[in-house]
Amino acid sequence: MKYIVHYKRYGLLRYLSNHENMRMVERILRRTSVPFKMTEGFHERMKLSFGQALPTGVIDRAGIFLISTDQLLDDEFLRTANALSPAGFEMFEIEKMKDDFNIGQAIAGYTFKLIFLKEPSLQDGWKAEKFGKIWIVSFTNEFNSPSPRPNDFGQFLTLRDRVIFRGLR
Amino acid sequence: MLKIDPSRCSNSQNACFLTELVRDCTFKVERIYDFRGGKRLNVLKNLVGILDKVEKPSRYIGNEYNSVKKRADMRMCMIFPDLYDVGMSHFGVKILYDIINRSNFASCERSYLPWFDMQSAMVENDVPLYSYESYTPINEFDIVGFTLQYEMAYPNVLRAMRLGRIPSKREERDDGDPIIIAGGPCAFNPAPMEKFMDAFLLGDGEEAIIEILKAVKEGVNRKDKLKKLSTINGVYVPDYNFKVEKRLIADMKKEWAPIDQVLPYTEIVHDRGVIEIMRGCTNGCRFCQAGMIYRPVRERSDTEIFELSSEILKSTGYEELGLLSLSSADHSQIKGTVSLLKEFKDTSLSIPSTRANAFTVELARAINTVRKSGITIAPEAGTQRLRDVINKGITEDDIFGAAKLAIENGWKRIKLYFMIGLPTENDEDVQSIGKMVEKIKKMGFFEVAATVGVFVPKAHTPFQFDPQIMPDEAFRRIKLINWARKFAKLNFTDPRKALIEGVLSRGGKEIGNVIEKAEINDLIFADWDERFTPDKWMELFDDEKIDLEKLMGLKDVKTNFPWDFVDSGISKGYLWMEHQKAISGELTADCRNGCTGCGVCPQFGVDNVIQSEILK
Repeated sequence: MKYIVHYKRYGLLRYLSNHENMRMVERILRRTSVPFKMTEGFHERMKLSFGQALPTGVIDRAGIFLISTDQLLDDEFLRTANALSPAGFEMFEIEKMKDDFNIGQAIAGYTFKLIFLKEPSLQDGWKAEKFGKIWIVSFTNEFNSPSPRPNDFGQFLTLRDRVIFRGLR
Repeated sequence: MLKIDPSRCSNSQNACFLTELVRDCTFKVERIYDFRGGKRLNVLKNLVGILDKVEKPSRYIGNEYNSVKKRADMRMCMIFPDLYDVGMSHFGVKILYDIINRSNFASCERSYLPWFDMQSAMVENDVPLYSYESYTPINEFDIVGFTLQYEMAYPNVLRAMRLGRIPSKREERDDGDPIIIAGGPCAFNPAPMEKFMDAFLLGDGEEAIIEILKAVKEGVNRKDKLKKLSTINGVYVPDYNFKVEKRLIADMKKEWAPIDQVLPYTEIVHDRGVIEIMRGCTNGCRFCQAGMIYRPVRERSDTEIFELSSEILKSTGYEELGLLSLSSADHSQIKGTVSLLKEFKDTSLSIPSTRANAFTVELARAINTVRKSGITIAPEAGTQRLRDVINKGITEDDIFGAAKLAIENGWKRIKLYFMIGLPTENDEDVQSIGKMVEKIKKMGFFEVAATVGVFVPKAHTPFQFDPQIMPDEAFRRIKLINWARKFAKLNFTDPRKALIEGVLSRGGKEIGNVIEKAEINDLIFADWDERFTPDKWMELFDDEKIDLEKLMGLKDVKTNFPWDFVDSGISKGYLWMEHQKAISGELTADCRNGCTGCGVCPQFGVDNVIQSEILK
């Protein structure tokens, strides 16, 4: 059975590189003792696919990964896995998927938000909305197009906020 | 630069998003552990501003899984004086971290020396060196402990203190500063670092560390704390005690093995779960300091190794387990241990530190997880005569037998370790390294890589009396092997680095000035090739009038060494006898096969702990 797990990575863990994030997730999953499917070959690895990689320093509220197992997983699994995770990493939703689900084909894009501590001077057409002492710019990017990097636009924080799937899954 | 399509901009959902934003952008850890006022908050606040600007920020963020956040009366910070990527692999810190954090009165946190970019950023942004658990500046701890694993890291220790705003010289510290203590193999010659350390712990730390923490807790002022420390077995406090015997644990208790090992986010040198299967070594290689100072041998049983390994893997999620010891193939139950550990599915085993013989290859084949791309053996010397001098205990047949077995079992690449400059070495010995490399290549290996280091005689070994070859001579000998480059990739360690290591390891108190100036001149991370500047070191030796020829020269049993007051359990007389046997090429047997009279066991009232013997 294939499952996608939605997660957030925030706080100090935004400084993890994509590779470090993947290794952290794999070890969390190994700690759950759930028999996940492994790749074949001399060095077996967990069969684990992720959404688009993020630059280091971006807060991720729209992370997803795909895992396979013969065991039925539900919210109890999330509770167990979260208890075995470091502070700043939280899995918040699990969905059972069809066997032919492909993470690369399913994601249409992501919504990003840039947080500014002072009013940004923006290109024409950009919208910055003020909330208290901060300004937020929101936009969507297509899957596999470059993600914004920290400080690209002088922003204080960069967030990947939402994953957008293509149609029904 | 990213181009954003304005048509994709949207402000919908921003309002409800805000409350979650506050939560996700806040660093929660500091709130929980801000139990001593606001200083931790400031460290973290400033830290966040600089992590975006440094290379590999994950090595500075702390907050790792299994790290312990604990409130306690006594707070210790263990510092590995090198980059996180190196220090996080060190097992000694894991042991003490675990023992202290399981005590009912003390806590232990960790810190490492940041790389240059981070150091600059920390200074510019007023961030002192901090602990990785509570982001506390290190000068706020009761005790700061450094592990001295290699001499080239000595200037790093001083840099860590400078970044942590702790006066580096012990005479400049007062009651408001932490007690600074050092341990590890280099502490067996405390003299070069004596100017900077309040105390040294020599030998096994499992029991002593709790006694140290209690002494510091009970001491009413700095002087009283040092006085109390000086009464602990294995602890040397400069100016307070003038002879010290190393601390020894008779057996490795199960509860001392760290289970909940801290998991790094960043890739470190040895990124795997570790189980120490044996401490000490009975081989008696005459060049090996660890083999001398960590006697006797203490093995864990195969069942205990299995139980502990199971818990470690469960607690960490590691996909690889390393069996740690000085010579794993010598463990009396290694075969049984490996077959037990093979029960762990999806977990690979690594057995470093094995011997150059067929059994090593058999072990590698048995664990079946070593990639067929490479196997490592360490002949150390090119001729049997010289291997007998160093008491390596392996023959040419062992070496070529191991290579033959390796190739028959599918290994295509082989890595060999040698040393030049060993006592009594002549040109024929050096040239024989090349001949051995050629012969092994011609056995059919696709690739042979040979690393050739310059031998550095160490304190408390039979070779402490021997001279170290100077760089010019080392370069000459290197040329004698260069012809073998057509058969193998040859890597030579820089002879000038070996010279500096030799000065730092066998020097006396006068070397303290060199170390101090080295730090001031930014000669930190000196062990890293890209940061190694030998000319500057030579200038420092000149400035301090260090007589290199004398320091590196031949000594005898009457020589007063700076470390003579440190009792490792092996007498100077025994080391001298071993030195003389070395000169005459006489072997000393493995003490598993009968006592060789080094004196450690009777002095400490202990014996080798050999599991197969216990079963009998």
